[in-house]
Amino acid sequence: MSEAVIDERVTDEIAALKAILLDDELNIKENDRGEPECIETVLFPSTGEDSQSQYVCVTLIVQLPVGYPDISPTISLRNPRGLDENTVRLMQSDAEAKCKDFIGQPVMFELIEILCYSVILFAIIKVILLQQLIREHLTRSNLPTDQCAICLYGFREGDEFTKTECYHYFHSHCLAAHIAAAERYYREEQEKLPQWQQDATNKFQAICPVCRESINCDVESLWSAPPPIDVEAAIDFSVTTELRELQKQMAALFLRQQQRGGIIDLEAEGVKTLVRTEDEPGATTDGPNPPGTSLNAYSNQNMQPVNHMQMPQSKQSSQTQNHAHYQSRQLHHNYHGHNNHGHRNRGRGRAHYRRQFDRVRQTESTPR
Amino acid sequence: MAALPRRIIKETQRLMQEPVPGISAVPDDTNARYFHVIVTGPEDSPFEGGLFKLELFLPEDYPMSAPKVRFITKIYHPNIDRLGRICLDILKDKWSPALQIRTVLLSIQALLSAPNPDDPLANDVAELWKVNESEAIRNAKEWTRRYAMDN
Repeated sequence: MSEAVIDERVTDEIAALKAILLDDELNIKENDRGEPECIETVLFPSTGEDSQSQYVCVTLIVQLPVGYPDISPTISLRNPRGLDENTVRLMQSDAEAKCKDFIGQPVMFELIEILCYSVILFAIIKVILLQQLIREHLTRSNLPTDQCAICLYGFREGDEFTKTECYHYFHSHCLAAHIAAAERYYREEQEKLPQWQQDATNKFQAICPVCRESINCDVESLWSAPPPIDVEAAIDFSVTTELRELQKQMAALFLRQQQRGGIIDLEAEGVKTLVRTEDEPGATTDGPNPPGTSLNAYSNQNMQPVNHMQMPQSKQSSQTQNHAHYQSRQLHHNYHGHNNHGHRNRGRGRAHYRRQFDRVRQTESTPR
Repeated sequence: MAALPRRIIKETQRLMQEPVPGISAVPDDTNARYFHVIVTGPEDSPFEGGLFKLELFLPEDYPMSAPKVRFITKIYHPNIDRLGRICLDILKDKWSPALQIRTVLLSIQALLSAPNPDDPLANDVAELWKVNESEAIRNAKEWTRRYAMDN
């Protein structure tokens, strides 16, 4: 069989696909010789014309090997939306089995020999059959089998969930919480900027938590949804023996590293690097900060770990040298120490630190 | 203990049941929002062979806001400062509730493999990393050997 014949069969098949599918549903990639080598189609469940009730979709990728359609194509499924890994795997193996069925049939080779024209039809049918097969799967599992990326629980009958424009699924309740929090963050960040740097439109755009595509939702109505069923029913967590063992190992490693000077000493570092201001005498004489409270500094909205570093906290500093108590003290701080910080040093030094930290913040927020 | 969001419980259970290779995160006994973390230095990086201890804290509105993470073990890296604070966009403005403790820690591990001196947090380290990379890498290896190896 000559190359030209194969080419023609493939071209015919693609022409047929183009006729059946919409432009945005079909993506044909060609190699440098201009031969098609990969057909991508986005497949949705068969819910008729009602795209609103199509909750799942998947991209079917058919790699055409040299010698196709006499040689079975390679099938892969990408960008599954609303489908969990097991379902996707099942669909994949089903599709592969179907391909083998076709190849294994001796009738098929005869057909190729004798009825060249039928082969074209066959080839067309083949891709369409594959698509249909996968569509069947999708239709069957048209309730998202995946979990909500926000609460990490599944979707149950009775759960209210939202499909984004990008085909990601969230419990409406969870999505509302995300959008509200993101908008709050946006407003806070805007307020921190000097006026000329602020977003002139001052318009917050919600994005999908999974793919960061812009999404448009009615937050009000999302909020009216009840919390997810599984979240409510989940069992409580308790510390297991295994966990305790791991905790012990961690604590032991900490001590070993501490003995060799490998642990960041926040007091020392604070004095050396952060509290280095000419305009604030006495800064270095303030009480040191126990290790482990640093995370509180982050929690402070204005990011002023420097102020935090300088807080004279007599109770804490008296314990500071007592490293055996490190763990419990540290946690205590993370829990309760939150609002006790950052009330001092409202004088000149603060502006200085702010400048320093604004710089840090700027570099930190630069996207990679 | 105050009511812990189910998501935190679920993440903790999964961290225990399906641990990520090279990463362990264990909640503390008295505060389930505070995690003791060990990240191993990635292969073929100057941090290879190191066991780096970090602390991770899930704030009140987690997962709507990012976990607070900090290196506890000393590390020589242009994007990690002397206090162990990390310059990583997903911990700041690029946070998404679809990220998890495990993905955050994987990103931090990836940052060890790919230091970015053009976006520095530790200026002196970044400077050396730019003008004399081999010396910077030597320093990073030396710090890893001195502070983070467990033998």
